[in-house]
Amino acid sequence: MISVTDTVTSSVISARSISKQYGKQRVLDDVSFEIAPGRIVGLIGPNGLGKTTTLKAILGLGNFDGEMQVLGLDPRTQRDALMNEVCFIADVAILPRWIKVKQALDFVAGVHPKFNRAKAEKYLANTKLSPDMKVKSMSKGMVVQLHLALIMAIDAKLLVLDEPTLGLDILYRKQFYQNLLEDYFDENKTIIITTHQVEEVEHILSDVIFIDDGKIVLETSMEQMAERFVEVLVAPENMEKALALQPMDQRAVFGKVVMLFDGVAQEMLANIGETRIPGVVDLFVASMKGVAK
Amino acid sequence: MSVNWNDQTPIYRQLKQRVLGMMLDGLLKPGDALPSVRQVAAEYQLNPITVLKAYQELVDEELVEKRRGVGMYMTESALDKLLANERQRFIEEEWPAMLERIRRLGLDVQQLPGLMTTGGDK
Repeated sequence: MISVTDTVTSSVISARSISKQYGKQRVLDDVSFEIAPGRIVGLIGPNGLGKTTTLKAILGLGNFDGEMQVLGLDPRTQRDALMNEVCFIADVAILPRWIKVKQALDFVAGVHPKFNRAKAEKYLANTKLSPDMKVKSMSKGMVVQLHLALIMAIDAKLLVLDEPTLGLDILYRKQFYQNLLEDYFDENKTIIITTHQVEEVEHILSDVIFIDDGKIVLETSMEQMAERFVEVLVAPENMEKALALQPMDQRAVFGKVVMLFDGVAQEMLANIGETRIPGVVDLFVASMKGVAK
Repeated sequence: MSVNWNDQTPIYRQLKQRVLGMMLDGLLKPGDALPSVRQVAAEYQLNPITVLKAYQELVDEELVEKRRGVGMYMTESALDKLLANERQRFIEEEWPAMLERIRRLGLDVQQLPGLMTTGGDK
């Protein structure tokens, strides 16, 4: 029992056997995971197969079966207290078009006790935004800056981002993550991100959780991932040897075969071809096939 | 700023190599401060853990020192150490690989010393 209490207090999020059903459709099926403080976790999976439902469960937006602790609180019954410590962004298009910069500040100051208005204003002073500017007259980049000013000024322990950069130009997407790392994130904070732009965030993540068909397919830190999974560009003469090592997936690239291995020693793999670290996307695709077999 | 990381080596290693390269090229000098973990993470869009890991290896190899509450600095002895390390690495890793390539290409090893002094002229 002691170890259980330990994990509960040291985790930012502790989910145990979470299940959720919409009518007859099961969107989350006995999902368990732990997220420690100071991590940036990518929640990755196809649309409509559990990602958003998981985020909603974390935020206390809707009921579910199982046990969930977020910052030591139950999001279903202690949502108000939890919201003091959490900041949530659906996507950047959510600000009403008629709102002025200063009204947005007024609003957040009114609803979020941890909002530091001076900090937001200081951040905005470095942008082209002025207090009377309305969202509808802003460029997308400016909307991002306003959003960032609001987030960064909230001293939340947990930041939940659901497709935060949807519909943004690449330039602003980069700026978004750059500012997040520079001005918001530190080892006492935790960020959860869902996104389709996996390549864009994979280097800033410390962990990934793959969700498919309501189940967790893989949960790993990026460090473990790099140790455990290896991609090998298999030389034709080594095909048999390679297959004997039971690759979890293989695909042909420019006439050569790329195989993905799980938990096979690097030295062994170096003998059958050029090795490299798989990308999160390739690993996700392979993991999904793995579940099907 | 975006960087093209290769997928053969872990990123923290590549980042470390980048810092080593800056030291060898004299862009970082003994006593110079390294950019903060936060700055590097934001600049290169990396997880701070990745940056820390690269910095930690530099600290372990005594090429960089932590000054409490101030940051990371290149040590006075770093350049000498680095050159010694790089020579060692060349002999142990790069040279055998080169030798392997020389064999694969069917080059005559005896001819190579001659090429060295003529700067590879044909």
